[in-house]
Amino acid sequence: MGDAIRELKMNSINDAKLSIRGVDKIYGNGSKRVIALEGVNLDIPDQKFTTIVGPSGCGKSTLLNLLAGFEKPTRGEILLDNIGIEKPGPDRGFVFQEYALFPWKTVLGNVMFGLVNNGYSRKEAKQRALDYINLVNLNGFVNAYPHTLSGGMKQRVSIARALAYDPKVLLMDEPFGALDAQTRKYMQEELIKIWEKCQKTVVFVTHSVIEASYLSDIVVVMTARPGKVKGIFKAAHPRSRDYTGDHFLALRKEVLDCLEEEVRKEIEMDRP
Amino acid sequence: MSVRKFLLPIIPIAGFLALWQILAATGVLQPGIFSSPSAILKEMLAIWSEQVDGRSVLLAHLLVTLKRLFLASMLGILAGIAVGFCMGLSQSFYRFLDPLITIIMPIPGIAMAPLFIIWMGFGDATIITVCAVATFFPVAYNTCTGVRSMDHRLVQAAYIMGANRGTVMTQVYGPWSAVYVFTGIKLGLARCWRTVIAVEFIVAADRGLGYMIWDAASYLRASIVFGGIILTALIFASIEKGMIRPLERVTIEKWGMVRN
Amino acid sequence: MGGRPHNQKFKEFWQFIFPLIVAGMIWQLAVSFSFIDVALLPTPSMIAQEFYRLIWVKQTLLHHLGGSLYRLALGYIFAIAVGIFAGALLGLNRTVREMFSPALSLLIAVPTIAWVPVLLVTMGLGDKTVITAVFLGGVFEMTYSTMAGIRAVNRQQINAARIMGVSGPKLFFKVLVPASLAMVMPGLRLSNGYCWRALIGAEMLSAMILWGVGKMIYEARFWNDVKIMFVGLLLIGVCAVILDRILLKPLERGTVEKWGMLSGS
Repeated sequence: MGDAIRELKMNSINDAKLSIRGVDKIYGNGSKRVIALEGVNLDIPDQKFTTIVGPSGCGKSTLLNLLAGFEKPTRGEILLDNIGIEKPGPDRGFVFQEYALFPWKTVLGNVMFGLVNNGYSRKEAKQRALDYINLVNLNGFVNAYPHTLSGGMKQRVSIARALAYDPKVLLMDEPFGALDAQTRKYMQEELIKIWEKCQKTVVFVTHSVIEASYLSDIVVVMTARPGKVKGIFKAAHPRSRDYTGDHFLALRKEVLDCLEEEVRKEIEMDRP
Repeated sequence: MSVRKFLLPIIPIAGFLALWQILAATGVLQPGIFSSPSAILKEMLAIWSEQVDGRSVLLAHLLVTLKRLFLASMLGILAGIAVGFCMGLSQSFYRFLDPLITIIMPIPGIAMAPLFIIWMGFGDATIITVCAVATFFPVAYNTCTGVRSMDHRLVQAAYIMGANRGTVMTQVYGPWSAVYVFTGIKLGLARCWRTVIAVEFIVAADRGLGYMIWDAASYLRASIVFGGIILTALIFASIEKGMIRPLERVTIEKWGMVRN
Repeated sequence: MGGRPHNQKFKEFWQFIFPLIVAGMIWQLAVSFSFIDVALLPTPSMIAQEFYRLIWVKQTLLHHLGGSLYRLALGYIFAIAVGIFAGALLGLNRTVREMFSPALSLLIAVPTIAWVPVLLVTMGLGDKTVITAVFLGGVFEMTYSTMAGIRAVNRQQINAARIMGVSGPKLFFKVLVPASLAMVMPGLRLSNGYCWRALIGAEMLSAMILWGVGKMIYEARFWNDVKIMFVGLLLIGVCAVILDRILLKPLERGTVEKWGMLSGS
């Protein structure tokens, strides 16, 4: 089933949106040292949907936190458009697994937050926010408070909020992990529709291979801890919306095979 | 790491004491009114070792207060749990008592003391009664909240397994409300302690920690006043750590039911 | 504060008042038709008469109430101002917290009333002592609530704001402050309760103040006047309920309850 191309080589594309170069992340010291990431080299291409999968504990969320600037790498550097990332900033957007919406603000207030704090006038901010709320199909809930919404709805607000100020890159940390299976599937469809409209550079972290194969242009597989890149797979027909199509299944198989070994390693590591 | 956790808290306390000592010793703070920590310690040790009828004066005061605390809290807690349960189980009982409790609970025990003095005179009984009343309210309130919060599915499960009413009471409602009852007991005991000291100020018996502090205040013996205050805080802290925490550990913590 | 329909508010009010009325009637009948000496336990009607007398005839009650409320207001406002400030410092900085929070726990453990003799000795027997006692009653609790409220703020919400470019004081005021309200609001109510109790206690012990509900109750003992005591006690209870339910609870309802931020909602 050779349409899914297996690429092990690093592509040093110059139009890489995000470049991760020689990154280590180490926590603690002495006997309690934890090496979360070791020697990670990765280029995230522009305007493509890239997913990172790996066994639990492999450091994929840590990597995303480094891309966001919430933490700094112990060694190495991360570049966005060839400029080093020093701290969190509005050139990136982040969608959290637990939504992280501000409970004291309405849906509108939440989506407007990034705009109001980055130079937009209240009027412009409101208009833009309404557009994005419309994009995620939550028109009827503009003045609702987050605690009254379901998980899927909260996540849609989260996505609208992250996109509203037009970041260069959208980072998503297992955004559908807290949702039930039906909602999850629905949200994947919604995300595809949204992405087709705005075509952002997305870095998506998940532990679901199916989700990764379904949504992405590129799937990056990470090793068990200490995490580094094990394999990179390119989808021939990304987002073909067909769970039974050959391309989807082939990609899924390749990724699974690559991942399986790592999952086994990770389980072995936890054995006393 | 834990050395740091141990050392850091000592710095402000030690610093404060040192500053106080210096200011009092140099006379910046009037020594008659703001006795230095060393003077406090000295005087407290003096009444500890001062003996009357073969017993340390300080200890005698302490024991009297503790006795009152014990009796009052027992009464208040038992009554509180009983009434709290009734309120929790019966909606009409609850509806009737809740407004009453809401109005009476905020009244501090010390305010009720003059009334009880007229009714009962100046003795131990008065002190204990007032404190028992003060203890009663938080215990009743929390117990009631706990019983009312009962997840009825657990009750149904028990009945379906053939339990009778008595068993359901003791083996389902009991443990479930235990968390709340413990909260109530903690609050009630704290309130009892505050009220004992406070009422001892007013009822002016001739024994008790509160009496000792109040008496010292009227003679402007500042050292004993300060010493007494510190003692009240320390004693209560040790009651909490020494009695309540272990009790909690053996019951609700073991059952994984702690609310934090 | 809006949000609840008027008929529901009325229903809640009635559910509160009705049992009190019934209890009052039972009390009235029980005392009238038994051997209880009304000099010891007056009937509600006698208490009501006394209430009337103190307001209109002797005209002292409102002075007493005013004196008490004035001291409460001063002490409470200072307590929350200092408490929030200190609590914020402790909440934000780990070193400061590790240094001072054990001391804070010790201070909270001191029964508020126990401060009064210290204050009497150092500050005299007047107004200042009472106000300081009220302050001490509320400040430690407020510090603790604020500290806990800031510590409880969800890290992810902070990160969400950071990635939108918000940092420093803006982050503090726009995110930390509203998020910490989940515990600060209940703290305001708790502190109010403690302040009120401290007020009454301190008034009863301060010989040189002229007005005050606590003082009124205490003095009544010298005339063996139980009726005045009851008036005073009921006044304490009712005022506490009014302060809490009518002033503070709606504030809580309009903020953290509306936002679904109270634990257990």
